Amino acid sequence: MRRATFAALALGATLAWTCGAAAADPAPGGALAESTGTRAAAAAPGQSAVDQCLACHREQDSPEALAYANDIHAARGVSCADCHGGDSRSDDQDIAMSRARGYIGVPTKEQIPRVCGRCHGPGHDAFKTRFKLDDVLTAYGGSTHAHALESNSKGPQCVSCHGVHSIARVADARSPVHPSHVIDTCAKCHSDAAYMRDFDPALPVDQRDKYRTSIHGKRHAAGDLKVATCVSCHSNHRVLQVKDPRSPVYPTHVPETCAHCHADARTMAGYGIPTTQYAEFRESVHGKALLKRSDLNAPACNSCHGNHGAAPPGASSVIAVCGQCHQSNEELYDQSVHRGVFASKKLPGCVVCHSNHAVAPATDKLVSFDAPSPCARCHRNDGTDRTAPEIVRMRGLLDSLTVGQASALAALSHAENLGMDVTDARYSLKDVNQSVVQSRVAIHSFRVARLEEAARPGITIVAQARRAGEEAVHEYKFRREGLAVSTLIVTFLAVLLWLKIREIERRQKRENS
Amino acid sequence: MSARPPGPIRWIRERLNIDPLIEFASHKQVPEWRGSFWYYFGGVSLFLFIVQVASGILLLMYYQPGEKTAYESVRFIVVKVKFGWLVRSIHSWAANLFILSVFIHMFSVYFTKAFRRPRELTWYSGFLLLALAFGFGFSGYLLPWNTLAYFATKVGTTIVAVLPVVGGPIMELLRAGKDVTTATLTRFYGLHVAILPAAFTLILGLHMMLIQTQGMHEPDTWPEGKRRYMPFFPNFILRDLLLWLIVLNILAILAVWFPWELGSKADPFGAAPQGIKPEWYFLFMYQGLKYFPAKLAGVDGEIVGIVLFGLAGLLWFLVPVWDARTPRGARNRFVNYVGVTVVLFIIVMTTLGLR
Amino acid sequence: MNKLLGLATFAWLGSVVYPVLEYLKTPPQSEADVTSVVAAKIQNVKPNSGLVFRFGREPAILVSGPDGKLRAFSATCTHLQCTVQYRTDLQRIYCACHNGMYDLNGRNIAGPPPRPLTEFQVTVKGDDVVVSRA
Repeated sequence: MRRATFAALALGATLAWTCGAAAADPAPGGALAESTGTRAAAAAPGQSAVDQCLACHREQDSPEALAYANDIHAARGVSCADCHGGDSRSDDQDIAMSRARGYIGVPTKEQIPRVCGRCHGPGHDAFKTRFKLDDVLTAYGGSTHAHALESNSKGPQCVSCHGVHSIARVADARSPVHPSHVIDTCAKCHSDAAYMRDFDPALPVDQRDKYRTSIHGKRHAAGDLKVATCVSCHSNHRVLQVKDPRSPVYPTHVPETCAHCHADARTMAGYGIPTTQYAEFRESVHGKALLKRSDLNAPACNSCHGNHGAAPPGASSVIAVCGQCHQSNEELYDQSVHRGVFASKKLPGCVVCHSNHAVAPATDKLVSFDAPSPCARCHRNDGTDRTAPEIVRMRGLLDSLTVGQASALAALSHAENLGMDVTDARYSLKDVNQSVVQSRVAIHSFRVARLEEAARPGITIVAQARRAGEEAVHEYKFRREGLAVSTLIVTFLAVLLWLKIREIERRQKRENS
Repeated sequence: MSARPPGPIRWIRERLNIDPLIEFASHKQVPEWRGSFWYYFGGVSLFLFIVQVASGILLLMYYQPGEKTAYESVRFIVVKVKFGWLVRSIHSWAANLFILSVFIHMFSVYFTKAFRRPRELTWYSGFLLLALAFGFGFSGYLLPWNTLAYFATKVGTTIVAVLPVVGGPIMELLRAGKDVTTATLTRFYGLHVAILPAAFTLILGLHMMLIQTQGMHEPDTWPEGKRRYMPFFPNFILRDLLLWLIVLNILAILAVWFPWELGSKADPFGAAPQGIKPEWYFLFMYQGLKYFPAKLAGVDGEIVGIVLFGLAGLLWFLVPVWDARTPRGARNRFVNYVGVTVVLFIIVMTTLGLR
Repeated sequence: MNKLLGLATFAWLGSVVYPVLEYLKTPPQSEADVTSVVAAKIQNVKPNSGLVFRFGREPAILVSGPDGKLRAFSATCTHLQCTVQYRTDLQRIYCACHNGMYDLNGRNIAGPPPRPLTEFQVTVKGDDVVVSRA
């Protein structure tokens, strides 16, 4: 009885409020049928402002009608006819449920989004403005769920997630899309392999299981409703496939999506973890590759942390995680002495030298005793550390490659400026890059012999190129010197010839006179 | 010449009747007057031609015609072969100096009226040699197959096509096809190393035989009493040789200080470089053509231009004919004015074209 | 005087003849033709093997698949231009720098390489395996 009173009061209140609004529309059917924006038009004879559909169906103990009392729509004065069509003011079934008045009965699954979209869709009216209704229909319409519905009526629509006649607000703990329940709601379909097979057979169905192992999942289970749930990352209505570049979980958007919470100090207050990761990642090699160059080979947050089973890798597993891409480095590191040493000190492998989020471009400067090189944290160059000379030697090898490359290029440029052709030597220098790359990988063995193996070819080429440059300059000088010598000979000969001519002519003059 | 001739000459004299030749040569005289200096340019042109033949033969040892090998083989010569850079640069510089020298020689002959009777044939053969020299320059320019050469050839052969009726076929004959391709290169190569040298040698032989048998031209206004002569052997020849020696050294200096560029390999599908123009000795015609309006009395401006230049060339060729009326020994002011105009035209057009 | 002249002439002749003689000595490698290269002798090529050789100024790789079929590709990895190699254990073309993988058709199938390897044409002429630009 209280519910009926409440409904009537709400109805009356709505009536009173909208009375002075736009002209009352005596048109049949729920005002929704023509979306004039008024609700509960002035009653005509035989009609009343009470939802007659509801009243009648409740008398018949229809479960939907009974459940509707709990529905937020009922509280807002939405009648049965507003969704099902027909005329809720008439108690005559032929009028109330007449097709002429827009009655559609139980909407088909495909119709449901449009039905809900009458209010929860585009366009403006007083009702939408009053209750601040967003345009969910357009958002949903662009989603992969809508696309699924088009191809298969078993696909997800509004009712699949929100329920139908007992729809509660999202903030209401009874709602299936309340943060505490939303995971199970999504999992209703997404953990059902047989169901998902009809839509995307290759899509995994273990997200909920993984989520439960994640930090987000564990905290969620403990009652923390601030943590990320499905809709936090995938969005609620405009759910897009991961491979869709517009999706918030498309690789280039993942960092930003995670950063929504993880970079916000207020949201993360109390969790005891930093909020600098996104800023650091953006400046890192990985961040620049992913975000600036859209290189999809580069890792996003989920590449190392997992997405549904998100948790930072433990110190001992860091190497395996980085090794997903940096396989050669992992292989070498695993055979190196650092592996055992770092493991025993519970140091997180790669992160020790390269950092986790702020991965900077690795230069040869990482191998040295000068800050900010990581070697100096454990190694000392004061005679007490047996390995110090090896570090120095390794750095020396790297330098002889890069510095040598620069000096070879300078020698070649010098020759070119003099006008000599050294294109062959320049081409050979291209191979030095291979040596440089492989040397920087070989460092991870932390053994001089292995590094030498990688650096030796490059050092040889560099020496040859520099020699070629020097030879070109030498040839240039030789040409000028040669010219000077031959010019001298010619001048000598020319002078002598001139003297000979004069001698002959003098003799001829004497003979003639 | 009272001393006994040395062994080898005696050996030849016993077998070949060269005595009349030696006798003839010993009497050959060269007039000595203020314009004698110009006599050397014929010899310098000959010397430069010999340099071209020698350096060309050396280049032949390594050059390979063909789209895929021409540029590479020239590069090979310049970069890898010992003194290849020297041979190539000498060949390129000597080509330009040769044409310059030929121009000077021609104009000096023109202004001293050395083309007059009985030397008309010498003038006509000389004009043909000039045309052949242009042919050498044009065909040789393409052989390194670099961007400049390719497009200069394209532009140059396109101009020929402008002529009505015969233009198209002539262009296709030159290009060995509709476009400038490997076939064009092969054809130009054949022209440059076989056809043109053979033709040039024949006509040069005629030209020199005429000069030798007719003797040097004496200036038209030369006072009777003051005539002096210098013996061709040994005086003039030795002076000639001295000059040739110096010219050779100049070539070497040019090759070292201003080496000829390789350029970049021709890409037929690439864009033509900005400001593409032919070699400097064609510039006066190229630039001159630009000043003709698009249409002249309903005829294409370019055709008019080409025809006009052709006519001018013909008139120049026939100068012995329209100068013939001048009494022997007299000046012909008209010929001089025409000559000066032509020289000025060439200089002005070439300068404008070089900008 | 004449003697001096003769000496000078002789010196000058030397300064001309010497360069010509040096010029005529052909230098070791001929640069001219880089559109086709003899990569190997057919007897030395075994199935499931790869050989990196020089093609003009770049490296190229001749691959003999497990079925003995011969293919050749540019050996410059399309990722960061390292030189690739053939892995007999994986039966794939492999780049040691960042673990790039290409299949026997040169297509990039794993790792960072963004594009396949440029394919060359292989012809067997008698004993010679000739690789030329496609």
